[in-house]
Amino acid sequence: MAFTPKKQAFSAKINAVTLGTGDKSIVIGGENVLPFYTFDAPIANKPRIAVEISDKGLEGCVSDGIKAFYAGCDSVVDMAVKAQSMEGASAICLHFESADPNGENKSVEDCVALAKAVADAVEMPILVMGCKNIEKDAQIFNAVSDALQGKNILVLSAREENYKNVGASAGLAYNQKVGAESAVDINLAKQLNVLLSQLGVPDASVCMNVGSSAAGYGFEYLSSTLDRVKAAALAQSDKQLQMPIVTPVSPETWGVKESMSPEEESPEWGPLDERGIEMEVCTASACLVGGSNLVIMRHPAAVATISKFIDSLM
Amino acid sequence: MALKGLDIFKLTPKKNCKECGSPTCMAFAMKVAQGSVSIDKCPHMSAEALATLSESTAPLMKTITVGTGANEHKLGGETVLFRHEKTLVNRNLFAVTLCSCMDDAEIDQKIAEIKKVDYERIGEREYVEFLFLNYAGNGADKYVALVNKAMAADRALVLNCADAEVAKAALEVCKAGKPILNGASKDNLDAMNAVATAAGVTLGVTGADISEIYDNIKALEGKGNKNLIVDCTGKDAKETFANAVLVRRGNLKDQDRTLGYPSIVNLAKIAEGDVHMQTALASAFTLRYGSIIVMEKITYAEALALYGLRQNIFTDPQKPMKVEPGIYALNGADENSVCSLTVDFALTYFLVSGEYERSKCPVNLLITDASGMSVLTAWAAGKFSAGTIKKFFDEADIENKIKSRTLIIPGKVAVMKGEIEAKLPGWNVVVGPMEAVQLVKFIKDFSA
Amino acid sequence: MAKFITIGERISVTAPAIRRAFEERDPEPILTRCEQQLKAGANYIDVNIGPAESDGEERMQWAVKLLQERFDNVPLALDTSNMKAIEAGIQVYNREKGKPIVNSADAGDRFNRIELAANNDAIVIALCSANGIASDNDERMAHCQRMLEEGLMHGMEAEDLWFDPLFLVVKGMQDKQMEVLEAIKMFTDMGLNSTGGLSNNSNGMPKHIRPIFDSCMLAMAMMQGLTSAIVNPNDQRLMETIKTCDIIKNNNLYADSYLEI
Repeated sequence: MAFTPKKQAFSAKINAVTLGTGDKSIVIGGENVLPFYTFDAPIANKPRIAVEISDKGLEGCVSDGIKAFYAGCDSVVDMAVKAQSMEGASAICLHFESADPNGENKSVEDCVALAKAVADAVEMPILVMGCKNIEKDAQIFNAVSDALQGKNILVLSAREENYKNVGASAGLAYNQKVGAESAVDINLAKQLNVLLSQLGVPDASVCMNVGSSAAGYGFEYLSSTLDRVKAAALAQSDKQLQMPIVTPVSPETWGVKESMSPEEESPEWGPLDERGIEMEVCTASACLVGGSNLVIMRHPAAVATISKFIDSLM
Repeated sequence: MALKGLDIFKLTPKKNCKECGSPTCMAFAMKVAQGSVSIDKCPHMSAEALATLSESTAPLMKTITVGTGANEHKLGGETVLFRHEKTLVNRNLFAVTLCSCMDDAEIDQKIAEIKKVDYERIGEREYVEFLFLNYAGNGADKYVALVNKAMAADRALVLNCADAEVAKAALEVCKAGKPILNGASKDNLDAMNAVATAAGVTLGVTGADISEIYDNIKALEGKGNKNLIVDCTGKDAKETFANAVLVRRGNLKDQDRTLGYPSIVNLAKIAEGDVHMQTALASAFTLRYGSIIVMEKITYAEALALYGLRQNIFTDPQKPMKVEPGIYALNGADENSVCSLTVDFALTYFLVSGEYERSKCPVNLLITDASGMSVLTAWAAGKFSAGTIKKFFDEADIENKIKSRTLIIPGKVAVMKGEIEAKLPGWNVVVGPMEAVQLVKFIKDFSA
Repeated sequence: MAKFITIGERISVTAPAIRRAFEERDPEPILTRCEQQLKAGANYIDVNIGPAESDGEERMQWAVKLLQERFDNVPLALDTSNMKAIEAGIQVYNREKGKPIVNSADAGDRFNRIELAANNDAIVIALCSANGIASDNDERMAHCQRMLEEGLMHGMEAEDLWFDPLFLVVKGMQDKQMEVLEAIKMFTDMGLNSTGGLSNNSNGMPKHIRPIFDSCMLAMAMMQGLTSAIVNPNDQRLMETIKTCDIIKNNNLYADSYLEI
């Protein structure tokens, strides 16, 4: 008796969301099967990679590989342009780390100026990531969304405390895409999507960031959240969880000991760059298999590997 | 899972004879499904039907035990597809390849490399559990020599050898260690089965595609061999991933017992020498159903990431990961360095110690027993209180081991400051920040 | 587990306004009631055209097209004793949002509706009674078995037979209520889907009492595994109860705004 595997394509599907404009625009989501389950049904749009660029440039960067890649770049704008040539890159994620009021407290005007300069110089879709300070992020997102009208950017992220502000400006007034962020809390993930939709933000303008963590650092919570979100979205047809998922990988993996500890401190571990790449690759792969539709990464070797990984499973 | 009433009903004679005491066969089937009546109350049930029913009470997926002594490992035995549904039972294991085509020096060197990665992470030993011995077709002598070297390396073995005669010779020397013999396929099924069963070892079976894999398992089961592992490796990553998912899902979701075996995925074959790609695939198969993941090599760079991921994924959702209570001297801290207190929840420990390490400031991190709960949860449950902290200080003999009298406590339990000061006279209790990410700035300012 | 399925009962010839609308082919009252029910959260809409012996086929086709064209191929339960009318309705039915439901078959005179459903790849509501109410659960389950076998024999999936234990009126048959609930549990234990005309339990009660009984009965029935019911979706208390039970049963993920979606 020949074995015919039962197919498990769902009647529900993940929303397809377009980022950016023109030739370089990308569509994420749209699939009606679990991640990489191409044997159940074809996957509408392959997952994508956005390259993270800090507004601090290479300040604080510990990776020789990343530094080498951007050698010769004089500015953050140069870096963003260069990042487009990274093998496997589909978008640029501008991270306003220095806007944090408890840190350098870069002004909203300076952030806008940088965002405009980057947007003028690059063709790929742009993601902007805040500094995790709720009030400041809302101000930056409002101003950047306004300044970059027509670019169809994704702002990361609207949270429970500032979704009204961010949703109304980025999502409604300036017609950008909104990332809804919930820290590995699936009920909150759903609730935020409901609230954004009640605010009038169309479903096709919303992505979710359901949390992020590095492999080995409580990744089980993220992994199970991803599994549960996809199960609810597809098997239970839960419309409020059918938004594509965007996961910042590099801000987590480059902050842990394995990727930061200098070789002289633990020589048996080997070169720092290799450890950083492997942490980033391992974590990004696990996120994608769980259901991330776009991952945010840094190291050119890691980006190339994950791009190859995605293609090999499509 | 027990058979549903409907499935039992299909096995009944459907005569409604009432001899079992129920008004209809369907009512009877329902009661059997509930467990309130035994199946043998029905005098008309056929022998095959009874056999089907008794089989249906066995677990869907078998647990296969391989290796001996310290190198004994359990594989399979899973009951769910996703960890949130219940828990995953047996973590995936890693193998690294050796080949009979390598000369002695190469083999020795690679074994030495493999043995370098061997460390502990939150109470778990992290190392390469298996040596995967490829047979290169260059004669039984070469292969047996490789097996002999591998046996001295103190790891469990997988013999990857599709030549039954050579496998037989190899098993003669190593069968006592319960290795896996991998390499049964359509063409050598009978011979490999005979060799494996004679030696009493687990047989790895594969096929040209998922359908042939299925037929081969069926054929082996037909010969009475249920000590199997399925080699899901296909021609490329895509087919291998499909095989691994379809085997596990067909077993646990669609309840096909023929597929109820653990798996081997051979990344050394499909990653084509790309070490980063190998990591990406190993990560994917850690989540999606690889039982033994075969790698070309595992250095610290791969291990730190992959073993960390594995430990997270296979942790029991009901049981939080804990670290040992005690004094953790960070950044070269000595008895005069400031103390910082937190709970034994592994994630808290990692976040806090990670931030302190980034600060480069010497700190004695004091971990108290809080039943593996996070700070606020433990505090609310009474597991992290002035009383439990006092007890920890006494048991760990902090007063004598440390001369510093400054103690930083988590900002989330600032309310405990007064109580702790009352229980620990002479200590200066300082309230730290609310979140771990603020620790670097806090401790730098504090130490300045 | 799948979410509970509600079948809106308010398009029925038992209502004078709807009866007149069917006779005069006046779309407005029918469309209005359909819209109200969908807004209130109904998944399926029951279309009870009455026996319609003279013009049943044309009447059902008219109703199916009217509702599906206006409301994005809303899935429907075709409710009439007229077999030809059901078949005619299915001919023009669009399955995009769900299979049609044949309402209903039983183990008596309407036994052949099961075959009708099988031949038309439809779901069928299978009333566990023959001629008159089943005297006990042994009889109910015997009917269930017979109809299940009939469906399977004609190639239906078991999941497409929705068994109806027949909800009984409390005022008059109070002592039988637990038996009905036990029958639902038996369906559930066999992995079968179930449904029923819920509001029958509160027949004859004062208007302000009925929603209370309907809600309580529904919650208890969902505890037993009931997978759908024919209800008045405009009963807010009932719909809130269903949504809440779906959360407790983990059929739907909780969010603070769960009642609003």
